[in-house]
Amino acid sequence: MRRSMMTTLLTLALSAGTSHAAPVWTGADDQPTSPLACDGAPAAATPVAYNGGTPTKAPDRKGKTIKVVDVPKLVGIGYFNSTSQGVKDAAKELGTVDAKTDGSTKANIDDQITLIDNYITSGVDGILFSANDPVAIAPVLKKALAAGINVVGYDADAQPDARQWFVNPATPTGVAKSLIDTLAKEIGQEGSFAIVTSTFTTPNQARWIAEMSAYQAKCYPKMKWLETVEAQEDNILSFNQANTLLNKYGSDLKGIIGMTSVATPAAADAVTQAGQCGKVSVVGLATPNPMKPYIKAGCVKSAVLWSTVDLGYAAMQALRASADGTLKPGDKTFKAGRLGELQIINGSQILLGSPAVFTKDNVDKFDF
Amino acid sequence: MAAVQTSISVSAHKVQRPRPLFARLMSDYGQECVIIAAILLLFVAVGLYNPRFLSASNLNTIFAGNAYIAVAAIGMSMVIITGHIDVSIGALIGVLATISGTLAVSGYPVWMAWGAPILLGMAANFVVGWLVAYARIPSIVVTLGMMSILRGGLISVTGGTWISGLPKAFMIAQWKPFGLPFPIIAMVVLTLIAAWWMRNFPFGRSLYAVGGNPEAAKATGLSSERRVLAVFVIHGAFAGIATILFATQLQVIQSTVPPNLELTVITAAVIGGVSILGGSGTVIGSTLAAILFAAIGSALIFVNVSAYWLRAVIGGLILITVLADMIRRRPKT
Repeated sequence: MRRSMMTTLLTLALSAGTSHAAPVWTGADDQPTSPLACDGAPAAATPVAYNGGTPTKAPDRKGKTIKVVDVPKLVGIGYFNSTSQGVKDAAKELGTVDAKTDGSTKANIDDQITLIDNYITSGVDGILFSANDPVAIAPVLKKALAAGINVVGYDADAQPDARQWFVNPATPTGVAKSLIDTLAKEIGQEGSFAIVTSTFTTPNQARWIAEMSAYQAKCYPKMKWLETVEAQEDNILSFNQANTLLNKYGSDLKGIIGMTSVATPAAADAVTQAGQCGKVSVVGLATPNPMKPYIKAGCVKSAVLWSTVDLGYAAMQALRASADGTLKPGDKTFKAGRLGELQIINGSQILLGSPAVFTKDNVDKFDF
Repeated sequence: MAAVQTSISVSAHKVQRPRPLFARLMSDYGQECVIIAAILLLFVAVGLYNPRFLSASNLNTIFAGNAYIAVAAIGMSMVIITGHIDVSIGALIGVLATISGTLAVSGYPVWMAWGAPILLGMAANFVVGWLVAYARIPSIVVTLGMMSILRGGLISVTGGTWISGLPKAFMIAQWKPFGLPFPIIAMVVLTLIAAWWMRNFPFGRSLYAVGGNPEAAKATGLSSERRVLAVFVIHGAFAGIATILFATQLQVIQSTVPPNLELTVITAAVIGGVSILGGSGTVIGSTLAAILFAAIGSALIFVNVSAYWLRAVIGGLILITVLADMIRRRPKT
């Protein structure tokens, strides 16, 4: 009884606190947040015991050339073309890997399972995957482990015990920090901003917004979160919503954050057409290709997303290291070639690090 | 009430004498008048709450940013008036936008990039119209099938990539002849032409007969098949024009289908007073309804109300409109 009262009081106090910082509902979910340190010091992760799987009776592959197949969710789109590029880069650098990418042209879990099954039969040493479904893919991956094949995931995980390692592109706290830090750099630590998100119920976006709200309150308490509007995944609606924000707040609005790769370019277009480039900053999560016109015109300084090339690269490095036995259960960090030391979190997830920030200088290096 | 009855019966006897203007407006354009009143009320109320709502730039966002929905709703209204429906319009616009944008960035002349969606929209809807009119498959089934084909086809072909690098000359939605945004001009001109055609031309008027009572229309010698096919093709042309407005608004085109666009377009037609049972309504109503939604959506942001209410409000409007339609159609006792 007392505890529940305490909780209620605490919740009230917290909600009073957030409502003071953000008078309008932000679109965040109601789960607890754990904002990162403002100066970028790594969070003290609670150690979790290794919870990945282990290949049974794997032959000694140390130093030997291994055959690896990379099975993304689908092939033929820019996102996975670039992860595939990263896999090839790492294989070339390692010199002892014969890697190829193969996948369906549709993001279809049945096709993916069949394909992996065929590769198990044909005999490979390692499998990289980005799962179309974390549960449905688990049995075939376990079959691979049982056949002594090294299995590493990236981008989209399977159940932990169905693979050895998973390269996690970004944590919600990392995304939140990147977005808010980038925004603060552009509009100053006392600027007002608004958010264009997909819908208030989309789990990823709601989680990121919750972490952003917490991180902003902690590190930039004088920034003002004006409003969050939803725009689904519709580029004209995003454009109209961003325009409405510009119309409503006029010169009070200094920045817009786009939470989806649809909303960010649309917000940038709204700012461009309103002639507000340089007066209203746009930052956000976005794939680089649609952002290129706005970044090159100088209307948008930076867009945030993980580097998909690095994602594929790290996954290939992790697979080679686990085949060699240099990456083993219980490790706290992992040295991933040119990416340097990567953190291992949640038992068996290799964290890619802070998301990539695309700017005028580097955006042409990315094509997805 | 009795007085009204008498005056109606009197005027029925003396056909030559024109009815008073107000009564004529209310009987012919009742729904339209209600929507205009709602729009004006909304503008005054929200304008008083926050004058920025009525700023030129916000009016531009409301009218120009949503004109493509109004244009698509013109064709949709015609389809619904003839007693049919098209749920594939959103997918069609998504596909046509991708084709148009691809032509524009591949260096084809701009007129071709604009012309292609109109012609292809007509071609696609010729197939739909033929299946509905001559093969006698219900329009909901044909267009559901069409929607799946277009959606699936688009994703498999493009993989959801973006089209960017559109030439400046392509961006017709950003034109401002005489200081007025082009989408607004297109919306107003097309609505008036379509309304005029449907009111004053035999073929236009016959659509009401086909939708209102197909048997009677047939008995009087109207070929409903030809008219249904024609209406679908015209609807395809409007979808093509809507696509141009849609695709030229931003510097990038996302090659996916805009979510729920078909519902927005159908809702505009229905709230605009087009009877879902066929046979009545005007395209002026559907355009006004499209403007009303856009204004409500913008107003909710200005008065700090969650966008969830937009759906609830629109849902309520649909039910009220359809209910009013049903009551109007009930045989008078």
